[in-house]
Amino acid sequence: MLKIRFHGRGGQGVKTSSRILGRAAFLDGFIAQDSPIYGAERRGAPVVSFTRISKTPITERGFIFDPDIVIVMDETLLNDWLARPLEGVKKGGAVFVNAVSGFPPPAGHDDKVFITYDLTGMALEIIGKPIISSPAAAAAAKITGLISKSSILEATAEELAELDLKDELLEKNIQLAAEVYDVIPTPAINTQESEPITREVSPLEYEPVTHEEVIHLDISNLGNSALRRTGNWRIFKPIVDPQKCTGCLVCIIYCPDSCITLDENNKAVIDYDNCKGCMICLRECPLRAISSVREVRVYA
Amino acid sequence: MSETRYKTLRDVPLQEYLAPGNPLCAGCGATPVLRMFLKALEGRAVFVNAAGCFTLLHVYPYTPFKSSWMYTAFASAPAGAQGIRDALDILIEKGKVPPEEDVKVVCFTGDGAAYDIGLQSTSGAIERGLDFYYLVYDNEAYSNTGFQKSGATPYAAATATTLPTKLQKEGHTGSKKDLFEIWRSHKPPYVATIAPSHIVDMLRKIEKASKYRGPKLFISFTPCPTGWYHDTSESIRISKLAVECGVWPLKEAIFGEVKHTYVPRVLKPVEEYLKTQGRYKHLFHPQRQEHIIKTIQENIYQYWRRVAETEKLDIIIPPA
Ligand SMILES: Cc1ncc(C[n+]2csc(CCOP(=O)(O)OP(=O)(O)O)c2C)c(N)n1
Ligand code: SF4
Ligand code: SF4
Ligand code: SF4
Ligand SMILES: [Mg+2]
Repeated sequence: MLKIRFHGRGGQGVKTSSRILGRAAFLDGFIAQDSPIYGAERRGAPVVSFTRISKTPITERGFIFDPDIVIVMDETLLNDWLARPLEGVKKGGAVFVNAVSGFPPPAGHDDKVFITYDLTGMALEIIGKPIISSPAAAAAAKITGLISKSSILEATAEELAELDLKDELLEKNIQLAAEVYDVIPTPAINTQESEPITREVSPLEYEPVTHEEVIHLDISNLGNSALRRTGNWRIFKPIVDPQKCTGCLVCIIYCPDSCITLDENNKAVIDYDNCKGCMICLRECPLRAISSVREVRVYA
Repeated sequence: MSETRYKTLRDVPLQEYLAPGNPLCAGCGATPVLRMFLKALEGRAVFVNAAGCFTLLHVYPYTPFKSSWMYTAFASAPAGAQGIRDALDILIEKGKVPPEEDVKVVCFTGDGAAYDIGLQSTSGAIERGLDFYYLVYDNEAYSNTGFQKSGATPYAAATATTLPTKLQKEGHTGSKKDLFEIWRSHKPPYVATIAPSHIVDMLRKIEKASKYRGPKLFISFTPCPTGWYHDTSESIRISKLAVECGVWPLKEAIFGEVKHTYVPRVLKPVEEYLKTQGRYKHLFHPQRQEHIIKTIQENIYQYWRRVAETEKLDIIIPPA
């Protein structure tokens, strides 16, 4: 059995990607299983989805903790302590990262093959949106070495038709998938079927907590959500041109996430640690003082 | 117009009471409204929430608030508000909380809680004259669970449970419940509709409502990029269009007396609004469904014709 885990951000097409791959495997005569999980969080937050492909019936369910292949649909996830996309990838497995440029395997992961490609850039060019469900599925299909081009394209068409995509957009997605399938290599994947995991369970050492300790616990760390750093949700980054900004307050008032303030020169300043890149500020600025650039951060 | 401290956007308080870094969707239309509410109340509020997207706002160990937040069962936010109000009153009476440290109690729920599941507890609270605010962020569906139809879903909107089919081409065949009128029929001191695009109107209403003791109710239009299928940058623009097309009338009722607080001179064609959202896509693709679009438009004209007559408004509406 081949286990593939997709990591992305809500809104990128993570769930669809794992479905397309599952369907393509099915079309090629395999038994396939796919399922997404969502955290409690929403669009922009880390999302995971799983596909299992096998010649024999699949009895395993749920999370994939030991994938053969991981598809990281947003490179900023590599730094995300909640997502931890590289966790559990088998020795000899493959990691695909949607990134603007290549990089050496992160420390401790040189026993895996790393493949990078700028799917977002390609999606922006062809479909005009940073949605990469079809190219990510195509990349995964090619990396497995099991799935034919015709099946991945057919599966893409069928899955996207179910989502009621307009014909023109569907065509472009298929074009995107075909191009990605052609450029991505098929690495040699040398993973071992993993042993069932057994863990030593140590007897619980329990020290009763006293009443005093409980009531003095400091949970009143108010307004601390800024520590979460939702800034890595961004795909585009808003940039204020101080020459044009008049300090009119419009962007400050409409920013849903309280991420804009005025500096001492009365110019808007953006808190990039938490700005989610919704671009409401860009849209609403009456002076067109805000522009957007693609967020490019190479993991090092 | 009575005295107000809010005349232009320049008067919006810059002090922030909602920290960044919350886990809600980028571009959510409800967050700016919550921010403004906190500004208007100078952060002196306890929020009582029922199940919905905003329940995620405050998940241990992170909070964007400096004030308190209580989470109740779906149907019970107003009951929770009653408990907090009573407790505060008793503590103040006993001298355990100084009166100047009193805070406002605000129910903050989605439309599913406000229009459907929590309606009876709200009705009870209004009837008892509970001194509280109720702010509903109306994204017109049960969003947190995957955008199922609620009592607030408008005619012809596609939701997870009202997808357009060959037999029911319009998507949702019913129409939106009129919560404003349901609340108004209880004759509370204050009921208003607000929109995240119309900030000065919103702040004035909160300011005005604060003069009254008793139930003060606000229904906020809430663009939801995730459920309505629009770009995250469009939330405020869509809110403006909803007001300009007459889809979302901005109004208030003081002890039952209704007044529209913003009246467009000419209503923009509703099509401009519908076309911004994927949930209405089926009205235009693959074929244009003229009769459905016309029905929506005609309903809007009818509403405004009636209002124009009773309130003697200066608004141009095509004749029936
Ligand atoms: C009694 C009960 N039924 C169902 C649920 C599941 N549930 C949690 S949030 C939610 C949707 C709430 O909708 P709404 O009030 O409109 O808020 P939104 O999700 O749109 O923010 C549902 C159905 C629940 N928590 N409790
Ligand atoms: S809206 Fe534009 S001009 Fe106004 S403060 Fe923001 S960036 Fe400056
Ligand atoms: S893109 Fe602009 S409006 Fe959106 S979160 Fe960032 S600063 Fe705020
Ligand atoms: S689903 Fe809609 S209402 Fe809920 S957080 Fe996202 S944008 Fe806001
Ligand atoms: Mg809702």
